[in-house]
Amino acid sequence: MGKRLIRKEIGDKIHFSSIIDEKFKHNRLSVNFVTPLSRETASGNAVVPFILRKGCREYPDFTALNEKLSELYGAALHADVSKYSGYQVIEVSIRGIDDRFALCGEDITGACAQLLASVALDPKLDENGVFHKEDVESEKQYIIDTIESLINEKRGYAISQCMQFMCKGEPVAVRRYGYRAEAEKITPESAFQAYQMLLKTAAVEIIFTGSGSPVTAEKVFTERFSGLERDSFGYELVKLRAKADKVSEHTETMELSQSKLVMGMRTGLYENLKQVNAARIFTALFGGTPFSKLFQNVRERLSLCYYCAARFDVATKLLLVDSGIEYENKQKAQDEIMAQLSAIQNGQFSDEELTNTKLLVNNSIRATTDSLASIEGWYMAQILRGQNIPPEDDVKNIDAVTRQDVIDAAKAVTLDTVYFLTGTAEERQGG
Amino acid sequence: MRKVIKSKRLNEAYTKITHSSGLTILLYPMTGFSSAYALFATKYGSVDTRFKTGDDDGFTDVPAGIAHFLEHKMFESEEGDAFSLYARTGASANAYTSFDRTAYLFSCSENFEQSIEILMGLVMNPYFTAETVHKEQGIIGQEIKMYEDAPDWRVFFNLLGALYHENPVRIDIAGTVESIAEIDADLLYRCYNTFYNLNNMVLAVAGNFEPDTVLKAADKLLKPAPQIKITRGVFEEPETVRETRVVQHLPVSLPMFQIGFKGKAGTEYENVTGQILDEVLLEIIGGEASPLYRRLYDEGLINHTFSDEALSSRDYSLCFFSGESRDPDKVFDEIKKEIVKIQKSGIPQKTFDMAKKAVYGRYVGMYGKVDSIAGVMVAAHFAGMDMYSILEAAADIRKDELELRFKTNFDVSKSAISIVMQEE
Repeated sequence: MGKRLIRKEIGDKIHFSSIIDEKFKHNRLSVNFVTPLSRETASGNAVVPFILRKGCREYPDFTALNEKLSELYGAALHADVSKYSGYQVIEVSIRGIDDRFALCGEDITGACAQLLASVALDPKLDENGVFHKEDVESEKQYIIDTIESLINEKRGYAISQCMQFMCKGEPVAVRRYGYRAEAEKITPESAFQAYQMLLKTAAVEIIFTGSGSPVTAEKVFTERFSGLERDSFGYELVKLRAKADKVSEHTETMELSQSKLVMGMRTGLYENLKQVNAARIFTALFGGTPFSKLFQNVRERLSLCYYCAARFDVATKLLLVDSGIEYENKQKAQDEIMAQLSAIQNGQFSDEELTNTKLLVNNSIRATTDSLASIEGWYMAQILRGQNIPPEDDVKNIDAVTRQDVIDAAKAVTLDTVYFLTGTAEERQGG
Repeated sequence: MRKVIKSKRLNEAYTKITHSSGLTILLYPMTGFSSAYALFATKYGSVDTRFKTGDDDGFTDVPAGIAHFLEHKMFESEEGDAFSLYARTGASANAYTSFDRTAYLFSCSENFEQSIEILMGLVMNPYFTAETVHKEQGIIGQEIKMYEDAPDWRVFFNLLGALYHENPVRIDIAGTVESIAEIDADLLYRCYNTFYNLNNMVLAVAGNFEPDTVLKAADKLLKPAPQIKITRGVFEEPETVRETRVVQHLPVSLPMFQIGFKGKAGTEYENVTGQILDEVLLEIIGGEASPLYRRLYDEGLINHTFSDEALSSRDYSLCFFSGESRDPDKVFDEIKKEIVKIQKSGIPQKTFDMAKKAVYGRYVGMYGKVDSIAGVMVAAHFAGMDMYSILEAAADIRKDELELRFKTNFDVSKSAISIVMQEE
């Protein structure tokens, strides 16, 4: 099993965490600014890591910065924006091969840490002390394009739309890159101010994973973050309604071959860890594995689709079921999905199905310790939930889930929103 | 027959065994990892639509998408489906079909012995009936429709369709709703009996497992396969491209593009090693540190989605750039101009050194995870090499061979652009 996470506070709500495992051939370091997600600030924050990625005081020229990365054996410097429940996470990270594979004995790991610290904390600024106009303009356009590109991938788009309807007005519904209208307002001054606000108010998580030494990284970030005036917020997960009052239906039309059905459900849960684990197993049994109820019935028995899956978001406690189907099969698929939910509520599943589901869930939990990105993702989620459960303990928690726990979890589920994305009438006839 | 293959550079080794059944077994145990990853693959993919066995007079043509269809059907046996067998072991199982191979896989952190036996049983026991074939046509039909709506998939296959006249690499791996309608149980058996011959297959395992467990299972479950002579139909592919520009209208925010260069395919070995050279060249032409990337970025013609890829295997070799742009044709022009310019002026030493280091670093990365190691073992084996020689080739690239490759694989007169955009 994996090694333990060591987490230290190196400043006011600034933490440095590391997991070292010599089996890896890479080192990965990330700086994450965690901030509450809101419609007003989402786009302004989202543009920040992309501007930082364009250059720093040490390497003000974009090409020179990229040349430096090539010199570091193609180290990958990434800007990213993600969301977790009601948080927005602004990230810059670097990943490079371990020093032992350098062709000329270079200190790649130390150099990567220095470079990431420069990019995150020592940006290049213009004569007015704000971000350069050209960088802001190009990355603002990128944010707008990214917001608009949500429609490109239809499955993801349909899920996102269902979430928007289901959680209207709540922070968890806010899109991670925000909205076009807000993004249009970005200026060099506003972007720099958003960056300053992140430095001051965001919780900061610096995470090192890999086979090398985190010593340089810890030292550099401790020094660079010292003396910063901070007024940071404390983690507190948002709580959503646990139960649906009524089912709302939404249909949207687009030029499509295949229609997408998404059913948003509430799980009756807030935070009780034992119940959350039961909901995870219930979801896997319902539609999370190739031997689940939905896969076996909606796909294999009725041949209605290629995919029909259920996923439980531990962050929001919401459950989504989605499937790609023919327009005319919508009601049939929806009825079957609900019938399978009732089956589990009525205890119509074997002990073997339950055991097998737990085996598969535990297999995927253990596998997270075999890649740097998944280890980091695991612990980041733990931190954001205010807990520190290593994968091996989680496996034990999953084992403890009983048949009755699963039935109870299923009974607490209520259907909230049905979202249907479908082709236009002419295409349906033609196709 | 057993051979240990070592890498001084990585300080690691794996074992290659030619099993009495004819199967090649590649074993790469790795300490410290939680999971084992097994890949059972046959050298049979979507491009193998014309073949003959033994001394057949003529070639058989089979419907497009049949290799992928067969992959789906292998999960069923008379006793039920393989997923329910794997369910008892906790393994996460799957399969995929690419242009030139079909692979069955699982990853597990416990019960490895049972899972490897299920994997072998699954691949060795075909079971097709009219009814199960019909059911699968519905499921795969939806899979095909899902890809019809995926702009990134469409932009890629439209590019292949533009670059190639005859090579079946131009056809979607899953085929079409019409082509899969022609598939029946007899055709599936015909393909199975031809290509799922253990002499044509490889089993690669990496991660947390005992090598003996694999060998014992092989002794127990795999019977010697008869020698088989497979002749694959050769498609006369002209060197030229079929079309230079192809556009499809789909709902996307910004136009998506892929710009491809049709290379000269050699032997499989040459194609795999040549791909490393192509990657260095792509890095030099349009990598993030290149002047071209900078210029296109500053002019707002590309954004972070801009990327490049080299793709070489059986009898094709191509390179392409992908991205989103308000003016993809301009990007195409600029890339072509840049290529001609560098071809004239030569590659500066510093540029070469940097690009080589970046590509070498990326190749080291392929040896870091269980799934990727198993994949590279299989790819290297099918190309007739060991997996470390790929890394050594990346570490030993010479400038003169790179310049030679530059002329044959980046000929601007053999290029095409594929665009997916919103209808105006």
